[in-house]
Amino acid sequence: MQIIFHQTDANHFSMKCNAIILQLNNQPMAKIVILGAGISGHVAASHLRRKLSKQHEVVVVSPNSNYQWIPSNIWVGIGRMKSEQILFPLEPLYKKKNIGFKQAKAVSFHPEGDKEVTKPYVMVEYVKGEDKNNFEKVTYDFLINATGPKLAFDMTEGLEPGKNKAYSVCTYGHAEHAWHGLKELIEEVKKGKKAKILIGTGHAKSTCQGAAFEYILNVEQELRRHDVRELVEVTWIANEYQLGDFGMDGMLLSYGSNIMKSNEMIEMIFEDRGINWIIGAGVNKIEDGVAHYETLDGEYKTETYDFAMLIPAFSGHGFKAYDKEDNDITEKLFKGFMIVDADYTPRPYEEWTVQDWPETYQNPSYKNIFAPGIAFAPPHAISKPRVSKNGTAISPAPPRTGMPSGITAKLVAENIVDIINGKKTLNHKGSMGNMGAACIASAGFGMTKGSGVSITTYPIVPDYVKYPDTQGRKLGKTFGEIGLAGHWLKLTLHYAFIYKAKMKPFWWLIPE
Amino acid sequence: MTQRISKTKRFIMMNPVIQFFKYIYLSIKILVVVAGGHGGTRNKV
Repeated sequence: MQIIFHQTDANHFSMKCNAIILQLNNQPMAKIVILGAGISGHVAASHLRRKLSKQHEVVVVSPNSNYQWIPSNIWVGIGRMKSEQILFPLEPLYKKKNIGFKQAKAVSFHPEGDKEVTKPYVMVEYVKGEDKNNFEKVTYDFLINATGPKLAFDMTEGLEPGKNKAYSVCTYGHAEHAWHGLKELIEEVKKGKKAKILIGTGHAKSTCQGAAFEYILNVEQELRRHDVRELVEVTWIANEYQLGDFGMDGMLLSYGSNIMKSNEMIEMIFEDRGINWIIGAGVNKIEDGVAHYETLDGEYKTETYDFAMLIPAFSGHGFKAYDKEDNDITEKLFKGFMIVDADYTPRPYEEWTVQDWPETYQNPSYKNIFAPGIAFAPPHAISKPRVSKNGTAISPAPPRTGMPSGITAKLVAENIVDIINGKKTLNHKGSMGNMGAACIASAGFGMTKGSGVSITTYPIVPDYVKYPDTQGRKLGKTFGEIGLAGHWLKLTLHYAFIYKAKMKPFWWLIPE
Repeated sequence: MTQRISKTKRFIMMNPVIQFFKYIYLSIKILVVVAGGHGGTRNKV
């Protein structure tokens, strides 16, 4: 079976679907290759396997041998959970569920095949085992690019996990490392040393402020638990224009019987916890215990610290793509991240609309390629872009982690199943402008002393036309709560989603 | 450190009995938002 798509006219989509169906009817099997086994890749693989008969092949290609439940990394980073509690090996599960697994990384994309291979394929390089460093052309009928982001520590000079007293919690390995650094500092403080902790974003265009927000509150609580809080100055540093922006332009939310802005809520929490903050800060260089940053006012400042956790910039993986004749066609597939059905026309902030955001996560040039989760190129940011007086862009990139990753992966899987089963249109759609998200941010660990900030947002991308008086969000579905219940909720989600990821009985009943 | 959350509010936030009911309430409310569906935003031509 050979499927080659390179027309860009969306009107031809129906015709192309017919082509897929016809060809699938001639061949008993469809092969779906999924790059990445994070939240997005694993969700897509699980749903495809569940909904497709065994004659169809589902193959996951990932350099990581483990699945990790990333939202719980922050608890590993404060020593309250072990890595083993948030991960499990993928290969045995995939073997049991009849999902192929290759521990390899994608190197280049060949959506038309080449002179020797007529089918589209991805060149992968094995990273472990007997085949280590060997390359393979993995052919596919459908490709799901769920490679997520590259953690671009190299975009900030001196920022490297474990170096210069700066750490990360982006992976369980990083989080373990961070805990060792924090533990050492707590021991020193117990002996009477005064210390400074800096937590936030490590680049002017970082995203994932939520993870840093959770970590700073958890660290602050741990300091109190160890009875050393008074000796430690805790500071938040971020590229947000206002606290509580979270890369989503902030939000107006209902809090109890009040309506409050997210910046007011986060300010209240930080003041109550005695946490200082530096905002509108683009960190550009890290030295041993010193963070250099530029402010929106154009000033260059430094902040010293004894322990820092800084989220790096996220970038695409720098993949290259080639056509049948080996010509470089990277611009057809990638714009940093993968190009999907978004409107990428450059426009000023005032003209951005929710309609710019993708609905099916399908590449317009090659219709059998999809990119859910963080792997798709967003049409633009969600937060208002801001530039310092020196011309440096300092504002958060749009978040697509967690829930949106799972939801978009599931709808991509469902659309592929539909195509295989003969449907001619993509009926499953999920724009971030018409999708709710829940962010259960841990604010401290403990069954009786823990706390959490539960925030839901609908929609993720504000729709200022539909909800003009409430900053683009539906108030009833955009709310915040603080308290012990938030911790229990986060813990429930931890166990529920690991259960789901392990594909235990009735796992699909748990929503993404 | 500035006290921005009143003692009464803090008691409510940390009381396990009250928070148990809050947990049930929040679970349902979040489920409604999360499982409430999603879709496109563009008008059909």
